[in-house]
Amino acid sequence: MTQFFMIIGVGMCVLVLLCLYRATFGPTILNRAAGISAIGTKTLIILLLMGVIYDRIDMFIDISMVYALLNFIGTVVLAKYLERSGEV
Amino acid sequence: MIVKDVLVILFMLGGFFLFFTATLGLLRLPDFFTRLHATGKGDTLAALWFLVALAVHHGFSLTSAKIVFIAVFLFLAQPTATHAISRAAFRCGVRPWTLERAVLLDEDTVEQGGEK
Amino acid sequence: MIQESDDVIVKAVARLLVPFIVVYALYVVMHGHYSPGGGFQGGVILAASFVLLGVSHGLEKTRRRMSEKAAMVLSSIGVLIYGGIGALCLILGGNYLDYAKLGKILRVTPAEARSLGILGVEIGVALAVMAVMCTVFFAIFTAEESPEDYRSLE
Repeated sequence: MTQFFMIIGVGMCVLVLLCLYRATFGPTILNRAAGISAIGTKTLIILLLMGVIYDRIDMFIDISMVYALLNFIGTVVLAKYLERSGEV
Repeated sequence: MIVKDVLVILFMLGGFFLFFTATLGLLRLPDFFTRLHATGKGDTLAALWFLVALAVHHGFSLTSAKIVFIAVFLFLAQPTATHAISRAAFRCGVRPWTLERAVLLDEDTVEQGGEK
Repeated sequence: MIQESDDVIVKAVARLLVPFIVVYALYVVMHGHYSPGGGFQGGVILAASFVLLGVSHGLEKTRRRMSEKAAMVLSSIGVLIYGGIGALCLILGGNYLDYAKLGKILRVTPAEARSLGILGVEIGVALAVMAVMCTVFFAIFTAEESPEDYRSLE
């Protein structure tokens, strides 16, 4: 099973690299925000997979919960800022 | 034991497929709203499948309860974040991509995602 | 100055999530010795709940719960708790932050005194970090209210 988790984890890392294209070259800041948000979700899953591989999931689960929380708050704050500034 | 492993593998492959399609949509769809629609829904469901797979793999314990908490939190937070940022985009004057507007605009603007 | 958001969805979700975020932050602070986290991380999560409240419900309602003055006082109290526990150990005849010496006044074994001392220090750090993060948040989000203050700094 560990081998399977590692293969899935590597696949997720490749997906993160693909999302990084949108986060880097996205035409506007909104596209970049969408890319960053997608990367955040994938990173959460990668953290949990790492926890399973190292057999310390009770440690990694707290970190991934904080990661999900900060990802959400960051996106909402960015949306508020953009809405207030009124231009992209 | 073998049933559990098969369940975990099936759930993880399903989640990976959903993540892959969400990323494909983020890269290939024409404008901001369609890209957000791909990731906003695809990522949420894919994360749920991964979390279910991990909970099944770990068995019944405090850790799987925390995994359920993460799933509930993601299902509340992810759509809200998507809604907030798409609303901000609409307020900022980004208009959705349509075929008629894409024909009217020149090739360069279509490449840029049909913004403005 | 942030106005109250006219977005019903964000407001409702924030109202639903903020209490759970605070409880989770307290969990991170309390379990600092045997799981990842501790004072600093718990304080940051506590401050994140205030940021979410400020973004969704406006700065007025946030100020009613945590004003700038209260943040200033709380940061001082946090540093005082940290330094006070360290100095107390020094007074009781040990090194700085040598919690085992606290057993004399707490009337527990040295091992239990170590655990309790670390918990006290974590609470102090969490208070200080939360207050300072709230101060930074207020300073950033009210920058346009008093531009002359910033001009005088240059």
